[in-house]
Amino acid sequence: MAGKIGVYFDQQNIGGGLDVEALAAQTAEKWGDLTAVVKVVPVLALALDEIKADIEAQGLDGVLLCGASPRVDGELYRLPVLIEHVNLREQCVQAYKNPDRSPVDTAKGAPELLQLMARDYVNMGVVKLQKSEAPEAATVQGVQRILVIGGGWTGLTAALEAAATGYEVVLVEKSDKLGGAANNIPMASPLASPWENKQPTNLVAKVSEAMGSPKIKIYTSARMQKLEGQPGEFKAAIDTASGTVDVEVGAVVLATGWVALDQKYLAPMGLGKSPMVVDAASFGKMLVADQVKANRIAFVLDTTMAEKAVTEAVEGCPLDGDAAAAAPAAAPAAEGEDVFVKEDLESIRHLAYSNAVNSVGMLRLANTVCEKTDDACQTFILYKDMTVPGILERFYKKMQERLGVMMTKADVTDIREAGNHMVVECKNTLLGMDFDLDVDMVVLPTGLVPTTAKDVTIHFDYRQGPDFPDLALFDGFADSNYICFPYETRRTGVYAAGCVRQPLTMDACEEDAKGAVLKAVQCIEAASHGVAVHPRSGDLSYPLFNMVRCTQCKRCTEECPFGALDDDEKGTPRLNPTRCRRCGTCFGACPERVISFANYNIDQIGSMIREVQVPKDFKKDGPRVLILACENDAYPALDMAGERHKPWSPYCRIIPVRCLGSVNAIWVSDAMSKGYDGVMLLGCKYGDDYQCHFVKGSEICAKRKDNIAETLNRLGVQPERVELLEVAIDEYDKVPNLIDGFVDRIMAMGPNPFKGM
Amino acid sequence: MAQITIKPDLEFARALEEAGGESLKKCYQCATCSVACPLAPANAPYPRKEMVWASWGLKDKLRADIDLWLCHNCGNCSDLCPRGAKPADLMGAARNVIYKDLTEPSIVGKWMSKPAGLPILFAIPAVLWLVVWWIRAGFNGGQWFPRAADGRIVFGQIFYGDYTIDPIFMLTFFTALFILARGAMKLWAQFKPEGSMAVIGKTKCWVWHLWDVLWDEIITHRKFDDCEDGPDTGKETPSRKNGHFLLVWSFAILAFVTAVVAMGHWGGKVIPLIKIETPMPLTFPVKILANIGAFMLLLGLGLLTVRRLRLNPKFQGSSWYDWYLLGIIWVIALTGVMAQGFRLADAIVPAFVVYYLHLVCVWMLFAYLPWSKLGHILYRTVALLYARMYGRS
Repeated sequence: MAGKIGVYFDQQNIGGGLDVEALAAQTAEKWGDLTAVVKVVPVLALALDEIKADIEAQGLDGVLLCGASPRVDGELYRLPVLIEHVNLREQCVQAYKNPDRSPVDTAKGAPELLQLMARDYVNMGVVKLQKSEAPEAATVQGVQRILVIGGGWTGLTAALEAAATGYEVVLVEKSDKLGGAANNIPMASPLASPWENKQPTNLVAKVSEAMGSPKIKIYTSARMQKLEGQPGEFKAAIDTASGTVDVEVGAVVLATGWVALDQKYLAPMGLGKSPMVVDAASFGKMLVADQVKANRIAFVLDTTMAEKAVTEAVEGCPLDGDAAAAAPAAAPAAEGEDVFVKEDLESIRHLAYSNAVNSVGMLRLANTVCEKTDDACQTFILYKDMTVPGILERFYKKMQERLGVMMTKADVTDIREAGNHMVVECKNTLLGMDFDLDVDMVVLPTGLVPTTAKDVTIHFDYRQGPDFPDLALFDGFADSNYICFPYETRRTGVYAAGCVRQPLTMDACEEDAKGAVLKAVQCIEAASHGVAVHPRSGDLSYPLFNMVRCTQCKRCTEECPFGALDDDEKGTPRLNPTRCRRCGTCFGACPERVISFANYNIDQIGSMIREVQVPKDFKKDGPRVLILACENDAYPALDMAGERHKPWSPYCRIIPVRCLGSVNAIWVSDAMSKGYDGVMLLGCKYGDDYQCHFVKGSEICAKRKDNIAETLNRLGVQPERVELLEVAIDEYDKVPNLIDGFVDRIMAMGPNPFKGM
Repeated sequence: MAQITIKPDLEFARALEEAGGESLKKCYQCATCSVACPLAPANAPYPRKEMVWASWGLKDKLRADIDLWLCHNCGNCSDLCPRGAKPADLMGAARNVIYKDLTEPSIVGKWMSKPAGLPILFAIPAVLWLVVWWIRAGFNGGQWFPRAADGRIVFGQIFYGDYTIDPIFMLTFFTALFILARGAMKLWAQFKPEGSMAVIGKTKCWVWHLWDVLWDEIITHRKFDDCEDGPDTGKETPSRKNGHFLLVWSFAILAFVTAVVAMGHWGGKVIPLIKIETPMPLTFPVKILANIGAFMLLLGLGLLTVRRLRLNPKFQGSSWYDWYLLGIIWVIALTGVMAQGFRLADAIVPAFVVYYLHLVCVWMLFAYLPWSKLGHILYRTVALLYARMYGRS
């Protein structure tokens, strides 16, 4: 708890006619001994030595920097005490506009409303510091060993990369042979520059390198039995032929790859009905075994026929084989809710997701066939979307140059047997006509279904169950938020790579393996320093539980998006700090407010809310609106809006929160009893395409808001006074309108009935 | 539902590659070329569809494709192709390959299609004129390099006009014309769709259509302007109009002069009034016209050759067909000049040898005309005429 605070005003970054000296004087007067130093400096960045000297001389334990947004030059101010920023530039001066929208005239000093706003923000900053403590790290040992699950192309690459980085590796492979699907692909699409030609995978060399490495311990014919503990000190139990092996690992790379989509999905296109129809993976195997005798081969990338059949099956008659499979699946569900039942997430959609891999694969296969026969063989690639990722465009160019490779976009409407050959019916082609092709063989795409869609791969010994949560959102792929955080799963310390994450070509699998290993290394290092690994990298704080008041309601353990909390039989939560991502969703959930962080807690934010001066006269002095803004996306969007002089209502006071998930209902009550007229929760987009750094934050907050609304209703306060609004980080142009719209609605509603009570 | 079953012919695709369309497999069907083409119409524009037909070896489609002949080869499509394919070269190659197969006997077309065939093409007239030389040497007392009584070198002593050059060339010329006409009729038939065709609306006589073609394409070369007026590609593409214009007009003038002289010479034997004696004096109008024609020929030839040499091979190449035609005309011009030079310098052996080569090459130009690039004189005219009469099918 900071008891001696130095307050510094950055003159050059405030401007706007604000009377900074008055602000400083007011601060010194209001807080007295607490603010031991209050200074206005011309340029804050040049006053660092002065601040350090003050810390020494005055024994300051907190520093409040009033000026630009903390997002600007934040890294400049590394001081040995607690630091807090007051954003007087972007979200105060630059964001100011007169309530009547008349032009702001700063010639005679700042408008009164702006001066009030600045004062509120400074006071909130002082309180925030006052209620902060320096966090202490929750350090674990940080076992320098990485568990790689899956011994295929990705897993082997990951193992070798991790070993080369100096980490020990335990590699678990379920079959008796390493290499996985790569065993059938001796010549792959390019793996390195110049990305033009087929390239030998040299799998044998990779396997023997892994087997020969003293740092890599390999278990074949082995499966995960259990993973317990937390990053830095996981305990893995591995089922092997010679019994269970227990091993301590720091982090996990999940590279369990894929299985081929069930044949029944492609039956409408002839798979399984004629020996002349095969899927790409089987064709690859045949080609390696030199069993391809066909002279004319159609590679059909357009799978509309199969997709249509599924749609029709949903409406009417089921696909072949579905009826038999459906019956037994229903049985285990009845045994009780504690029994975990793995949902089979395999679907026709996996075919579409695999289109890029199949595009590249079919180019490679068609070219190989033509090359082998010196173009005596004719191959036809019939695509709906020829999707070639990134630089493999060069490969596409090279492969299509082969005389025997013929391509067209086409709607393949029928594939039928006619005597000793197959007929492929094509419509809407680039050849300007509909036509039939007589071929000896039809090759269909292979759907890559991630192993996580079909099986529990890791068997977490976690309170929230053995599997990854919400896999259905990604159709079974072990992913959590692809764009922002590749490799991350919803289980901290477990990083997915390769086709279990996304259908990928072999070069991309290698890159994935390297990326996931880097993440694993980062995780082990972070755990051994007791800091968060991501997304709040380097954060020392972690949730602290005041168990005396805990009612074992289990909300925190259930709502944690990352399964960081386990519990005992009675339901008392038990934290695994290195699993935690420090979002605060647990303390947002806690009705008893037993959870806090050293530098972020319920009382602290509550005090900040209460520190704002709410005028009693609504008509004369206007309303006050509290904005709790997600600091990951909404807060930067507000900064950007300010920078671009897109101002918003001066009646708002913004408090950044780690995540909307951390918003506790008590804050809304605090605001309402203080007399605020509205509370706006400004967070990330949620739903299927969520943008929340912590996956669930804004979604959970939306649910809690409904409960809050109910409470408000009971108290006679309009529930519309609390609103949750979604904003993306790049929507700086929209966010002022969102705010103004809300303030207008509040103005129309009139004052909070509790005002002045 | 049964529909057309297509049968790709990769040998045809390979032939196109060899005839200058080697980039045809680079196409990825984005249609930038069709957009870039200043002549292509809005519906079913070229040359995108020709690229995919070529890649699939669809011989029948390309043979019946009138659009091949509407292209005037400005090269915009090749300049702008994002894949480095050269549709312009493919169109040219397709034209050559199509009438190579169309023109009987097709073996000549095969020889014409690649440099390897050149020795055979050369050997035929070489033997022919050697036989003439050998026979005529017999008339000159076994002398292969005879001098006239006054000691001058007179080529006529060996290659006597009335009995050797004139009959051989007349026969060659009319045979070539016959072959060309048969090929053109076949091409016409290929354009016709199966079944019967009805032309709706006002029609006009084919003669007037032919006049339109000649006016737009040859007399004014207007189409070349339209062709060059395409969107700016940001790349330097030397214009073909002037060179082609000079060359075509010089051919017309020289053909006219030849006809007048032939008429004067042979007709003069019957009607003395129109008799023209060669060599004509330099001031004689026909001679003046002939010299103007020769000058235009050299100038046009020079312009076209320089243009081809300046082409950036990344965007537009020159096929064997292009170089064969330019080459043979150059050799004819050079051997003609050199033969005269050696004759005046009184170098009897080189004079006769060079003159012999001159005759060989002239014969090659005329005899192989239906299979060479020069065949487009008739084939393209016929195609354009068809397009004017019946439109694109």
